[in-house]
Amino acid sequence: MSMEVLGYKVVSDRKYTKSDEWVKIENDIAIIGITDYAQRKLRNIVAVELPEINKEVRAGESIAVVESIKTIADVYTPISGIVTEVNEVLMDRPELINDDPYGEGWIVKIKIKDRSELEKLLTPEQYAELIKEREH
Amino acid sequence: MFLVKAKRFSMPFSKLPRGFMKMREVPLLNLHKALGASLGIFAGVKTAMDYGNALEEHIAVRNSVGVFDITHMGRIAIKGPDAYDLLNYLVPKDISKSQEGRMIGPTAFLNEKAGFKDDVMLYNMGNDNWMLVCNAINIEKIYSWLKQWTQKISARVTIENLTETYAMLAIQGPKSADLISTLGFENALDLKHLQFITDLEYKGEKVFLISRSGWTGEDGFEIIAKPNVAECILKEAIKKGARPCGLIARDSLRLEMGFVLYDNDIDENTTPLEARYWVFTPSKTGYVGYEALAKQLEEGVKRVKIGIRMKKGIRVIPRRGYEIVVGNKTVGKVTSGTFSPILRRSIAMGYVNSTHALMGLEVKVIIRGKKYPGKLVDFPFIKKR
Repeated sequence: MSMEVLGYKVVSDRKYTKSDEWVKIENDIAIIGITDYAQRKLRNIVAVELPEINKEVRAGESIAVVESIKTIADVYTPISGIVTEVNEVLMDRPELINDDPYGEGWIVKIKIKDRSELEKLLTPEQYAELIKEREH
Repeated sequence: MFLVKAKRFSMPFSKLPRGFMKMREVPLLNLHKALGASLGIFAGVKTAMDYGNALEEHIAVRNSVGVFDITHMGRIAIKGPDAYDLLNYLVPKDISKSQEGRMIGPTAFLNEKAGFKDDVMLYNMGNDNWMLVCNAINIEKIYSWLKQWTQKISARVTIENLTETYAMLAIQGPKSADLISTLGFENALDLKHLQFITDLEYKGEKVFLISRSGWTGEDGFEIIAKPNVAECILKEAIKKGARPCGLIARDSLRLEMGFVLYDNDIDENTTPLEARYWVFTPSKTGYVGYEALAKQLEEGVKRVKIGIRMKKGIRVIPRRGYEIVVGNKTVGKVTSGTFSPILRRSIAMGYVNSTHALMGLEVKVIIRGKKYPGKLVDFPFIKKR
């Protein structure tokens, strides 16, 4: 299930952040990527810097860098925990974030430490509202 | 928000010229919006940065044909019996053999220290009429520079800023001649590199000038016409197969060729020798900046402009201000960088101390605290086709 907000795709099976990451929860793992809105603002993504596996991260911390020709952007984790997996495929094919931001373009997986942090995330509807406000 | 980090970095596409109060926008902005462009500000001018995919736009210019709106560039007319004398005094290139209908350049205006006021293209329009195209960021500066010298040497010359009178398009790529022919500019097909013709017609409307020139390293044409005429030509060019291209592709195309961008790669404190930018004729004397340049020629330079080709597979971009190191020693700084869509790796230009200006030397560029390997190379990064 997904909706389009001013041409930007927002999928309904996950949560969002004010800094344009999405978070999909699978049991005790949070999969994190950047939204369609974010990739469209960045345009051609040419490089990604990923964290090390087993790294302990705290909510609000920058855990990856996405670089487009135009600019450089941090990816912040809204969830504290341990990095269990990174999307290595992005090292050779960073454009997957442009092509499929909610699927093959995922960035990291984190083992959730504190489930209460999930409550602070935005619902798809709230994130859609945020896009509307920004593009107003 | 997510994109905030970028603000910490020096971005060539968002820089406003110093002392530039007025923000311009290109007259065809609404057309660019309708074409789906992402807009941005370059040198104080709001214009099209890309039309969705700068990498594909770049490749279209290398393999086929693309069309750019380059109206942001400055256009200044210099007319009158002393126009030649004025220009001859201000540019370091020998213009004594220039012919009507030919462009001269790139050449430059230098300050008394031989630093770049700007790099420009001169157009000899005949009958004491000249025009120049300068960088957007320098329009006011060059206009006043010309005015100032006109007074100082009492030249019988009028200087007119035509920048906002006309729009300017660049049609670039190996198929640009086919497109020019399709557009009905048969007369322009005979032009050789850096030749131009004036007073053409397009569907009953006047086109001021078409030259065979560009800034991409490919064959191409540049068209100067009133905005309403340029709009029709741009639309028709796209209809006939040209890919609309924005300034991001223009930047990566020029970088692959090693062409410099004013205020990034050259400025008032950089000389043609340091930049290895051959905008001067060695035998010419007596122009503004000559003494300083001649002195530097004898004494040598402390730093040299070089290219850096990052190791295969490295895609992070060395950007302006990043340090170039050998071992633990900083030997230079990056002035421009991009991801080369043709080489599929990152490339950059910058200045290194002349002690380390050794082509082939392995260096590292510090990018966000990490050292990434590359090699010093000469330009262009790709072979001219």
